[in-house]
Amino acid sequence: MSRIRVAAVSFLNARPLTVALEDSARVELVLAEPSACAALLERGEVEGALLPVGALAGRDYEIVPGIGIGADGPVQTVVLVGEQSPAVWDEVYLDTASRTSVVLSKVLLAERGLHPKFTPMPADEGVPRARGTKGALVIGDRAFDVKANHVLDLAREWNVLTGLPMVFAVWAGRPGVLQPEDVAELVRAAREGMGRRTEIAQAFAREKGGDPERYRRYLTHRLRYSLGPHELSGMETYLAKAAALGFLPETRLRFADDVVRSRRVRRTVSLDTALQKGADGERLDPDEAELLDEKAPLLELGLAADQRRRALHPEGVVTYIVSRNVNYTNVCSTACHFCAFYRPRGHREAYVLDRETLGRKIQETLDLGGIEILLQGGLHPDLGIEWYEELFRWVKRDYPRINLHALSPEEIWHIARTSQLPLEETITRLVAAGLDSIPGGGAEVLDDEVRRRIAPLKCSTDEWLTVMKAAHRQGLKSTATMMFGVGEESRHRVTHLTRLRELQDETGGFTAFICWTFQPEHTRLAPGDNGAHAWLRVNALSRLVLDNVPNLQASWVTMGGGVAQASLHMGCNDFGSVMIEENVVSAAGTTFQMDAEEIERHIRDAGFAPARRNMRYQRLAVGA
Amino acid sequence: MLSSLAHRALERAGLGEVRDRVLEGKRITEEEALRLFRCPDLAALGALANHVREARHGDRTFYNRNVHLNFTNVCVASCKFCSFARPDDRQASEGYTMPLEESVQSVLRRKGSGITEVHIVNGLHPDLPWSHYVDVVRKLRQGWPELAIKAYTAVEIHFFAEKFGKSYEQVLRELLDAGLTTLPGGGAEIFASRVRRKICDDKATAEQWLEVHRVAHRLGIKSNTTMLYGTIETLEERVDHMARLRALQDETGGFQVFIPLAFHPEHNMIGKAFPKPTGFDGLRTYAVARLFLDNFDHLKAYWVMIGERLAQTALSFGVDDLDGTVLEERIYHMAGAQTPQGLTEAGLHRLIRSAGRVPVERDSLYHVLRLHGPEGAAGAPRAATA
Repeated sequence: MSRIRVAAVSFLNARPLTVALEDSARVELVLAEPSACAALLERGEVEGALLPVGALAGRDYEIVPGIGIGADGPVQTVVLVGEQSPAVWDEVYLDTASRTSVVLSKVLLAERGLHPKFTPMPADEGVPRARGTKGALVIGDRAFDVKANHVLDLAREWNVLTGLPMVFAVWAGRPGVLQPEDVAELVRAAREGMGRRTEIAQAFAREKGGDPERYRRYLTHRLRYSLGPHELSGMETYLAKAAALGFLPETRLRFADDVVRSRRVRRTVSLDTALQKGADGERLDPDEAELLDEKAPLLELGLAADQRRRALHPEGVVTYIVSRNVNYTNVCSTACHFCAFYRPRGHREAYVLDRETLGRKIQETLDLGGIEILLQGGLHPDLGIEWYEELFRWVKRDYPRINLHALSPEEIWHIARTSQLPLEETITRLVAAGLDSIPGGGAEVLDDEVRRRIAPLKCSTDEWLTVMKAAHRQGLKSTATMMFGVGEESRHRVTHLTRLRELQDETGGFTAFICWTFQPEHTRLAPGDNGAHAWLRVNALSRLVLDNVPNLQASWVTMGGGVAQASLHMGCNDFGSVMIEENVVSAAGTTFQMDAEEIERHIRDAGFAPARRNMRYQRLAVGA
Repeated sequence: MLSSLAHRALERAGLGEVRDRVLEGKRITEEEALRLFRCPDLAALGALANHVREARHGDRTFYNRNVHLNFTNVCVASCKFCSFARPDDRQASEGYTMPLEESVQSVLRRKGSGITEVHIVNGLHPDLPWSHYVDVVRKLRQGWPELAIKAYTAVEIHFFAEKFGKSYEQVLRELLDAGLTTLPGGGAEIFASRVRRKICDDKATAEQWLEVHRVAHRLGIKSNTTMLYGTIETLEERVDHMARLRALQDETGGFQVFIPLAFHPEHNMIGKAFPKPTGFDGLRTYAVARLFLDNFDHLKAYWVMIGERLAQTALSFGVDDLDGTVLEERIYHMAGAQTPQGLTEAGLHRLIRSAGRVPVERDSLYHVLRLHGPEGAAGAPRAATA
């Protein structure tokens, strides 16, 4: 095994990605300026580089999925400065160190209708000359100390303009060079680096002077190191705008794991046979499921799923629950980029619910006939198991009638890790404190090829399933979910469903399956990504593949009541919950809302009898 | 080919005979339409309607690029479902009447944007002279010769005839001479007089509405037609409405498309009493219409009203036509429609393609302007996601 050479900048912002490569057996690190990184890669002197995004333009480089350097708001280290407002600038001195920021400056000024003369000049010469009608671009660590009357933070400007994050740099390699092991090593290093950001900030302060806390905040609050769907949209938009304005050639993004993918050879199966098998409740193998996912017309899938639903739930009853979704904290250290809800610790909008507020929410839920709270939150770095145990005991003592449907697998892992406890013991203690069941959130797509790309810092497929297995073994019931439409393929969705089915064979602990589409407000969508058609299809397919999961819940919150009604005729038998609040989805802009009366009207109108249920999907005699 | 799953599901729903008649290309009766409406199996109903839709149009899904012009909302009628009309021009009542030149310019300034049609519908203004209505059409025709002008509902045509002492034919001929292309289908609401008395008792009756279209068709003017569902009408009254349209279509062949419109409950007189019809009601209405109206070429979903998600779903329930890019829509937005103003052509293509269909841009008369074949990146049109 030979080591590959990769080039990267020595800037503070790159260190979380590079620090853990210093002793890598697989990757040798070469430090250089941003534009020099591109040149080294171009000349073939290195196999990969932490490449400014602008340097991808017109090349066929392959990007390492899942990680990058970007910002979704102000970044502080890429700024235009001047004595006067940019509106009056007639000349801008452009720091020669980074073409990406040079082009970003031009794009953002052009979007404001400003077209000053651009003059290349090193920042240490440009900044002192940024007086009167002159401006200057400053990038990198020297921007921390720059003082000026007018400072335009380019990442913030970009975010205001497009609603998207700005990605500055990504790991990339020449075509076909980066092997899966190299990609894995770069991702491993990034994961490790995330956990060493405080240490990096302190080291940097010792080296260059300045406040370590300020550097830590820069690394943890300003920068984002994942490359998820939002970031990809940001990158594509940046490259497209720059190309449209003639600043960069046109570019199509390629990924290192797109190439050399060994595909399973599929059996020839007939669509009709697969549909009929599914409708009859026979087990579908992955080949059949993929064929259905790719080829079956919507209503054919729907009819087959409807036949299955009739077999499993012949009474024509559609259930729903009166539950309240409470997010106990929005502080999260995972920073998944399909999430619009989380805030970093210390952010002015960060919160941890106090007991008074939580108690009020529970009481309101009881007053509305509710029987359950769905309690979930971010991965708060300071909350250990004792905090949860006390909280659960308090809830059960003061509100003994309320069911605690709480903590997704990701949170349970987090609590185990924070408290340095084995998983089994963590679950045992949470159950003893009052946990009744667990929600199946955070599953996203249970295929690591996809997870690495959309949520690289989240738990893996195996980790997610391990928590569910352990919980089911201790008698807890849970739901299972899937969030799709993130650029995954049929085979990924099918893997997700078959892995759930395998575990269900073993434990029988899943009560229901719920799927929804990625809610990508402000992003540029790939065709079909979050449409109703795709959602109805995946619901129907899930009904057929998950032959051992009893219930399928229609996620009307994301799709609206009408489409959810259609899903009741294509596999679903449950209408979810009355929404008293649901912060996470609403933060991403979904606004459908229904009370119990409206839910019952929808169920009846669609030809079914409504019934309230509990979390175990047992029907309640009366409306609680 | 209707699949064996669909065959069996229709059998189970007691619709085996209706299914067979549809598959033989025979006409279904009003009684059968009612049974379809009451079919408890939406997927089976949809599959049958989809079969008819695909036999007629394959995967083609039509749209056009249009702009709306509603030059006044001042209206002497008092339809209970309307959120758009105002009694007068005073600012306090939010009434407005755009001057002639402004109306014309609001459309002409779109020249070069790829728009092929203007859709003109207004309140029944008590004071505007006849020349105003003719001049709007004439000036648009002069200023933009190739633009299709779809103007004035049958209710307005009837109002002009009464107010200005002309026959329907005179009114239509003068508009035709000025440059009219087609008639929009609005104002039909529900034909049953029981319903009209209660929700719109002071405008054109069903007979008058139908007569205007009959005359228009005789003069060679194609027209559209609508049905407002979800107020106080019964399913029988919906079927009756469609039966009257089917009969007139047998007579003239002048209708191009049927457009069911969902009642929107906000800011009008009866919204409190009637919640918005559910999506289920919309989907079965589309499906029954596709099966019953065998002499209509097209069935249109108005996404402005039902939302993009339900409109996309409707493409599997008989619908082959989506309202276009729709700039400047006011009537439904004043009734609380939450949909965005205008959908880009790319957005519309995405919506159609991701439902496994092929977008086709049409003109006002349903001639194909451009067929947008499957996009390279979109891959297999039936795949759920890219």
